[in-house]
Amino acid sequence: MIRGLIVLLSFQGAGEIVSRLLALPVPGPVIGLVLLLAFQVFRGRTDEPIAVVSAALTRHLGLLFVPAAVGVVMFWPQLRLHLWAVVIPLAVSVIATIAASASVLRFWPGKTADRKSA
Amino acid sequence: MSTPLPIAEIWVYLAGSPLFALLLTLLAYEAGMTIYEKLDRHPFANPVAIAVLLVAVTITLIDMPYAKYFEGAQFIHFLLGTATVALAVPIYQCWDALRGRVLPLAVSLLCGGAVSILSAVGIARLLGADTTIQKAMLAKSVTAPIAMGVAERISASPTLTAVFAVTTGVMGAIVARYVLDWLRLTEWWQRGFAIGVAAHGIGTSRALSVNAEAGAFSGLAMGLHGIAGALLIPLLAPLLG
Repeated sequence: MIRGLIVLLSFQGAGEIVSRLLALPVPGPVIGLVLLLAFQVFRGRTDEPIAVVSAALTRHLGLLFVPAAVGVVMFWPQLRLHLWAVVIPLAVSVIATIAASASVLRFWPGKTADRKSA
Repeated sequence: MSTPLPIAEIWVYLAGSPLFALLLTLLAYEAGMTIYEKLDRHPFANPVAIAVLLVAVTITLIDMPYAKYFEGAQFIHFLLGTATVALAVPIYQCWDALRGRVLPLAVSLLCGGAVSILSAVGIARLLGADTTIQKAMLAKSVTAPIAMGVAERISASPTLTAVFAVTTGVMGAIVARYVLDWLRLTEWWQRGFAIGVAAHGIGTSRALSVNAEAGAFSGLAMGLHGIAGALLIPLLAPLLG
């Protein structure tokens, strides 16, 4: 558990350093993700301690969004005045986004269909 | 030892320590998860939405400023970055399935990303939302920690962007099943990827609770959208301004 946490935090730190050193617009954790992915590809497997901590964190990913989302209370007076101008675009947009990315995958010629028929 | 404190003073002490915000957040999430499980993981019983609602109502009732709450809750917020790194594990588990599909996945991501921005900003403008709101919508399909970083670069409000990102995530987690069934998408990897493009971390969390393969591809989509968004949205923002 602790070993896995050390590895993950180290990759996160390495990501922060790379992001700042090269002044990249991509935030540290995403670079950390890419580095950890490369590490696993290089090793040819996922080490057990990393798998354990990763499973614990990703299973409760939703919890980690709560503190930022509660920020809605700060904007509530402003949002309430424009409630529909906020809710309708967000709702339509998320449906359209799912439909657009799903349609590309569904109607992509060739490869993607044959696994299903196999 | 010391004399016992009156209850009011104990409360003042507790409200000032991170303990209260931490405990409140965990309790609210646990309540959300219990309801979600009780209702057979029905998409409408989204645990994140329930938790946010409970915390928001509680801190409003006890008159606790958001900044004060966040002081304690930031320990949870911090782990968002670590969890982003951790998504490399489920992505690696789908590595073989992924390699043959680079092109359709890339096209799907770019189409999804473009539709997300254009539809949200376009409709918001049509409905007369002010520019603060329009700007905060640009990065809303990108996962919250990245969206907040992007918002800073394009001089939009990071907190409002995070609120829109989480709202989008929750809405996506709720409607995904219906949209994907309607489009007759049956492959888990396709369903997962589409959810991840639109609804980032909260969609991924929903996908993971339904199917492991869907969860991995959703995590992949979220990571890729994060990278693409961080690179492209700052370039796009002036064009839509």
